[in-house]
Parts: sequence; C-alpha cells; structure tokens
Amino acid sequence: MKYVLEIDNVSKFFHGLVAIDDLTIKVKPGQIYGIIGPNGAGKTTLFNCVTGIYTPEKGTIKYKGEDITGMQAHKIAQKGVLRTFQNIRLFKDMSVAENIMAGYHTKSKQKWYHAIIHTSAYRKDEQKAWKKVDELMEFFNLSHLATTATGDLSYGNQRKVEMARALAANPELLILDEPAAGLNENETIELTNIIRKISQMDIGIMMIEHDMEMVMNLSDYITVINFGKEISQGKPSFVQSDPKVIEAYIGSDDDDEEGEQDDK
Amino acid sequence: MNKTTLIATIFILVMAIFPFTVDSAWLSIGITFLVFATVAFSQDIILGRAGVFNMGHAIFFGIGAYTTAILNVHFGLEIITTIPFAIIFPIIIAIVLAGPIIHLRGDYLLVATIGFNIIFEQVLSNDLFGLTGGPNGIFGIDVVRVFGYELWSDTAIYYMAFGLLLITLLIIRNLDNSRYGRALYYINKDEIAAKSMGINIPYYKLFAFALGAAIAGVAGSIFAIQYSAVSPESFSFMQSVMFFAIVLVGGSASLPGVIIGTFVMFVLPELFTEFKESRYLIFGAAMVLTMVLRPNGVWPATFGNIPKYLKEKALKAKPKGETE
Repeated sequence: MKYVLEIDNVSKFFHGLVAIDDLTIKVKPGQIYGIIGPNGAGKTTLFNCVTGIYTPEKGTIKYKGEDITGMQAHKIAQKGVLRTFQNIRLFKDMSVAENIMAGYHTKSKQKWYHAIIHTSAYRKDEQKAWKKVDELMEFFNLSHLATTATGDLSYGNQRKVEMARALAANPELLILDEPAAGLNENETIELTNIIRKISQMDIGIMMIEHDMEMVMNLSDYITVINFGKEISQGKPSFVQSDPKVIEAYIGSDDDDEEGEQDDK
Repeated sequence: MNKTTLIATIFILVMAIFPFTVDSAWLSIGITFLVFATVAFSQDIILGRAGVFNMGHAIFFGIGAYTTAILNVHFGLEIITTIPFAIIFPIIIAIVLAGPIIHLRGDYLLVATIGFNIIFEQVLSNDLFGLTGGPNGIFGIDVVRVFGYELWSDTAIYYMAFGLLLITLLIIRNLDNSRYGRALYYINKDEIAAKSMGINIPYYKLFAFALGAAIAGVAGSIFAIQYSAVSPESFSFMQSVMFFAIVLVGGSASLPGVIIGTFVMFVLPELFTEFKESRYLIFGAAMVLTMVLRPNGVWPATFGNIPKYLKEKALKAKPKGETE
C-alpha cells in the first residue's frame, strides 16, 4: 500500500459556487500532510468530503485503495478514518473517559443483547475497552481528569481529548482540523510532540493549521489552497519560498475577518 | 454506594412494603404508579437517552394492553401466554412506524409521532376487524393463572408490576454500561461527532425504539390485567404527552428524575382529587415553572459512569510537570 489516502481531482460546489476545485492530494502512511491556506479557502470542506459529511460532485476519494467517495460518515469512520473538529465537538456533559470511549465504538465486539444481559463475553470486551481508554489517558497525560466533564476542561485539554477519542478507534488516517487553534505556546509545543509520536505509529495524518511555525515544523508535505484551488504543493521549505504562496497570504489580508464559512 | 444506588435501594424497599401499609384504593394507585413509572422509564430510553422526540409512546403501551386483551378475550389465550406477544408486537410496530421517520430532525419527528398516535386512537375507537371493541374498548379480561394458582388480588398484581419495574431498572443499568447504551448518549449529545466515531445513528435510534416499545408493551399488559379492561382513551395522545412530560420534568436519563416525574405527574393529582379539575391548573403552572427554573428537570442526570479503578487513578494522579 503506497498511499493511505488518495484524493483525485475532487470538486465540491455549494449552490453553484465552487468550494473546492479539482484538488489532488495523496497521503502516505506515517506521513504528516499539512493543508494550509487563507480563511475560507475550502480546507474544512475538503475534510468534510473525505470524512463523508459532504459528497463531492466530481472526483474520487480512495482510502487504502478502496473508493470511499460519497460513503456515509459512520462507514468511513468504521474503515479507520477518524477526525477532530475545528470548533471542538466533544460530548460536553460527559467525562473525559466516557468521551474517549466513544472512539472505541467501532472496535467493541458487544452485540445488541449485551445492552440487556451482561455475559462473560461482554465483561471481557468492556475490560479491554476501558484498558484502551486508560492507556490513551496516560499517553495524553489526562489520567487525572478521567472523571471531569469535558465542558469544564481547558481548551488545550479539550483538543487532547478529541485526539485521544479519535485514536481509540485505531485509525490509519487521522484528520486534524486546526489542532492548535486557541492553544498557548506551551500547549502547542506539547501538541506538536504528540502529533509527531502519533505519526510514528504509522498513522497517516492530515492537518489543517494556521500556526505556520507548527505546520512548517511538523509537516512532511504541504498543499496550499486558495479559493478552493491548489496554488502550491511540496516540502515545507519549497512551499515557504513559493512566490504564489506569499502572494496569496499577503493578498488575502482583507478577507481575514470573514472567517471560515464552510464549517457547517 | 453512590447516590443513585442509595436512592434506588430506598425506593425499592419502600415500594416492596407499600401494599401492607395502605387501603385498597391506594393499592390501586400504587399499581398504576408502578406501571406508569415503567412506561416512563421505557420512554426515557428513547427520549432521555437517544434524544428522540417520541410523542407517541402511548401507542406501544396500548399495543401491549390490547394484545393481552384481544388474545385473551377473543382467542382464549391464558394471560401469561399473551405476554410474549405483548413484547413482540410493540417491537414490530415500533420498527415499522419509526423506521421511515427515524432520520427526521427532532421537531419533525415529534409531529410525525403525534400523527401516529392520533391514527392509533382512531383505529382503536373504530373497532378494527371487530377486535378492538370500539370506543368502549374490551371488557372481561381473565385473571392471571400460573401453575394452577389464580392471581386475582390487587396485592398479587402489585407485585407483578413491581417485578416488571425491577427488571426494567436492571435492563436500564445494563444498558447504561454497554456499547449500545453509550452510543445512545453520544448520539443525543452530538450527532456529527457520533457518526464521525463510526456510530450508525438510525440503527441505534431504532434499537432504542424497539427496547422502549418492548418494555412499554409488557407494562400495557399489566395495565390491562389491573383493570381487566382496556379502552382507547388510556392510550390517547394526551397520555403520550404525560409520558413525555414525566421524563422532561423529572430529568432525562435520571433514575430519581423519572420516579419524581411520575410521582408529580400522576400521584400528586390523585392526592388532590378534592380540588377537582382546578388542580390541573396548578400542575400546568408547575410544569412551566420547572422548565423555566430547571430546564434539565427536577433531578438532572449525572455522568461519569466509568470503572472504579479509573476514578481512583484520577484521584491519585497528578499531572506530569506540576510535581517538579
């Protein structure tokens, strides 16, 4: 398997307006792939197409060689494509441990009757599940917050819980939508280390991020998008010095206040 | 012992000795209280856990009751043999009715279920196939016979209802600690996050419907046994409104909440019968006030249903870096 994800000539329109235009992106296992671009460029729309929230009008998306274009979101997740959200979607009243448990849903072997009668197979599965949750809380340094409702956590910890929840599903492709948004410097450094460790587990990572220092530092490969179109692609050092990228960023200063409109 | 277990234990002990402390009128209210509490708990699986705005729960309660009545009166089946049918029929109807509308958003689904309940009432009142007995319903339901014993006394029926409530509480406890039960909570809290974790939302919502309908069906069966009669008005849209309100007023997915809700919505009106219809004025106002002052119900649910060792670890563990 050469690529964990192949996005081929994908386009998505909203009411006739182009949100993403003929994008081609290929992610290898264990690779950290950065997607950058000014606000409203279509980055989150692209992620929503990959995870099945939207269906693209043109092109194909393949996961491990299998066509997943237009597949339902839960089926794509069951295959091993897991994500986090730009505006954090945790189950706020529920504890950290319960939130991470949600990611284990696809791995659990429990049948419908285990909801009514608890058998020994149930107990085995349940133990295994909580052990996984325990391990992930250790990995993310969240053990002391196991019982805390996620709504009461700091921004940084909420981002970590979201990532832990996605990892509980043993994904082969992890999609991070602005993981460092709202974090302070220390939290960003901690997160950078965590993301690097995750990629070492041979998990492909696709990441949208506005923190340029972090993206350039972490990514193996980058695609720059503006108005839904790819304007540059390559290693961080190449992208950084590409005049088209510099122009897009400087020229887009006026649009900054409009905010991402494609996250619905 | 945590708070919920303590409350459950006290509640169960009080209800276990209740028949020995009251007269027959109150015993009858006690039976109906247990039956309504069971139905409310089954509605709580659909509404409180899965978060599906089901405003037609009296349908499943009614199908259970009418199944027992029809099979016993028209087909001569023993009451006890009608009970499996009073479980299966509501499940089938739940899946057939809810299946096509399960993808609808909360408010649309609510209206659709109201429609179903109104149709259901009409079907019962119009004596479908000469089986449902029209507006007066069906009379003369037999007594329960088990191994040659006739269980006709109200005390015996009380303990049947009590047994059913205990089984229901056990099922709910098991549900809450299972993959299926947790999936319902995740769906309720955030559908997009839930499906991004691989949860098949319509499937789990239908599961909640089927389980809730099954429990409500058995409760209906006991309701039919208690009054040895069934009639359409017991399963009207207004009855569904009551089950809906019990869950929201008491507190969604909260055991004490549903018990308090059933007590407030059913037992309190019985206590104040001397005030006649004017008492409902107070109840209406009380419902409005509860929703304004305590939007999550009188006794909201608490989360943190995780293994003990993780809780203990959380207490002991200090975040790395803070100790240095």
